[in-house]
Amino acid sequence: MRTLISVIEIILPVFYFSTIWAYARAFFSGVKTAESLKTPLLFSTVVLHFLYIIFRTTEYDHPPITSVFEILSLIAFTIAVVYTFIEFKTKNTSTGYFILIIPFFFQIISSLFIKENSEVPALLRSNLLGFHVTSALLGYAAITISAVYGFLYLMLYHNIKSSQFGLIYNRLPNLEMLERMSFTATVFGFLLLTVAIVVGLVWMPKVFGNIPYTDPKLFGTIAIWLIYAVGLTAKKVARWQGKRIIVLSLFGFAIAMFSMTIINIFLSGFHKFF
Amino acid sequence: MNIFCLGISHHTAPVGIREKLWFSAEEIPAALESLREQYMQELVLISTCNRTELYYIPRNTGWNGTPLWKILRDYKTNTEEVNEAHFYSLSAKDAVQHLFDVASGTDSMVLGDVQILNQMKEAFTLAQEHHCTGTLMNRLFHTTFHVGKRARAETEIGEGAVSVSYAAAELASKIFGDLTKRTALLIGAGETGMLTAKHLTSHNLGTLLLTNRTRSRAEELVSQLGGRVVDFDRMTNELPLVDIVISSVDAPTHILSAGDIRQAMKQRGNKPLFIIDIGVPRNVDPAVNQIGNVFLHDIDALNHIIDQNLAHRKAEIPKIEQIIRDELEQFQLWHDGLQVTPTIQQLREQFELIRHEEVGKHLHHFPTDKQEEIEILTKRIVNKILHTPMVNLKTGDNESGNDETRAKVSIVRSLFGLDKKQRS
Repeated sequence: MRTLISVIEIILPVFYFSTIWAYARAFFSGVKTAESLKTPLLFSTVVLHFLYIIFRTTEYDHPPITSVFEILSLIAFTIAVVYTFIEFKTKNTSTGYFILIIPFFFQIISSLFIKENSEVPALLRSNLLGFHVTSALLGYAAITISAVYGFLYLMLYHNIKSSQFGLIYNRLPNLEMLERMSFTATVFGFLLLTVAIVVGLVWMPKVFGNIPYTDPKLFGTIAIWLIYAVGLTAKKVARWQGKRIIVLSLFGFAIAMFSMTIINIFLSGFHKFF
Repeated sequence: MNIFCLGISHHTAPVGIREKLWFSAEEIPAALESLREQYMQELVLISTCNRTELYYIPRNTGWNGTPLWKILRDYKTNTEEVNEAHFYSLSAKDAVQHLFDVASGTDSMVLGDVQILNQMKEAFTLAQEHHCTGTLMNRLFHTTFHVGKRARAETEIGEGAVSVSYAAAELASKIFGDLTKRTALLIGAGETGMLTAKHLTSHNLGTLLLTNRTRSRAEELVSQLGGRVVDFDRMTNELPLVDIVISSVDAPTHILSAGDIRQAMKQRGNKPLFIIDIGVPRNVDPAVNQIGNVFLHDIDALNHIIDQNLAHRKAEIPKIEQIIRDELEQFQLWHDGLQVTPTIQQLREQFELIRHEEVGKHLHHFPTDKQEEIEILTKRIVNKILHTPMVNLKTGDNESGNDETRAKVSIVRSLFGLDKKQRS
């Protein structure tokens, strides 16, 4: 089994590369063969990645959340899964390159540096923690995808505004579709983040006794949650549309990235496990 | 290849000449039947606004010497101005290649025109219904439709808007996606504005509002395009409900100001608004484009889209040429195959005739009980002699180039005098 896991670690980045190559050829060059191959390649990659996670969890007796490189692989998987869901839901396949390039790089780094820890704290074997981490990562993956669509929306918006009708204009889906894809991903991300926060709040007292209410990680997480809650409310009630809501979504994404990196690594006390 | 083409098109004749030689669907059958009875074995007549072309296989006899272009011209009246210089005449491979060029859209007035293929299919169907096609024309046109289909499936020759009205509709779809819930306001009765509105309605536009300084003119347009009329003086009141504005009015000053649009955007909750200003001078204040979620485009921007799309279509031509080369080769191979089979058949018949004659002359020299054996023996000798040449001819048909196959067929026919015997 460990040999199989090692083999998959090598071929998984190759699968991701083949997939983004097909999406890139279809988008930038309009190659028909690439157009027909890209979705089957994506599906194969996601299935392979899923098997990899299952095999790792089974073989090492813990979910893959015990090191930065395991988390990177998990993030790559969640982004690929969320994108696959959005592609299936919206039937639009033209934006895959812009999304899938992120999991490709994450998985390459993971595959290069991942190694099994000889000792894994019992804390990290908790299923509740595993569930919390997975839902949080899925939530952040969805927010990342929402941000990519938001960025593509702004690119197309400005291209149309300034009468630039090149590749971006020709190949990207229409503005309404991009906004909808961004919004779908935001809703998905917000719901999953909510689940992650709730599970985290349930799990924390069991491990730490007292909840560290003044920890920057909690502030960061609540700030992100509030930004997205405000955005969704503004869209639904005040009917915010177009550029305004997209910019708010990108702001939320920036705070999320700050929380996941700077706060997590340098500022948080209780949210460090390895 | 005994295939010919005679035609007149936008390359060789102005519209005033082309329209004189245009055949309607009602006129074509009579022309087809007359030409078939007198001059042609098989033919198809294609007639559109940009070309009239006759593809045909002539009869060997019956041509009275009158040039075909005159014969075709004389089917129509009032054609004194049409002369030989307006026509082009192609034969064999050139005629077939031209037909493929036309089907692929590379010979059209607007590069990549998708309509021509349907027009060719209609012309072919009409010819078939009037018994003007046979093996060769059927195969030729089926191959032609295959070329057209491949050109559209394997390249982007037909993609992107190449007219102002279509570019405007395409831009609307790029902003809104689904137009079924959208409302458009057409200001003015200019031709381009109307065409744009038509394109939008063909893209399933939800609601069309029309306004014009002269209300009766707007009401006329409603009867053509559908929708409802709005008073010209009150059109700014409708702006909060409208997603697309098409302005095509002769006016010395702007009819829509930045203030009008800002007010409308407040009332419509800042939902995206697309304004197409086709007027010259412009009908809409250019400052409108600074307003968030408002997309203002004038005729220059739309022409820019068209130029880019045309350049993209031109870049697809080499791919089309390769498709045409491939299909031409396949068609040539098939056509040459038509020669191989009858040649083999004729050769067999000729040898059998010789065998039969010679055996007939000398059979009485043999005992009766041996005569059947003589028949069998001589047949076997003839089969053995012919076996290798037949195999080589058939194999050559599949594996050699077209030129080699044609050369072999030609040599065999010449050596054994098959063409002389066929004529007698």
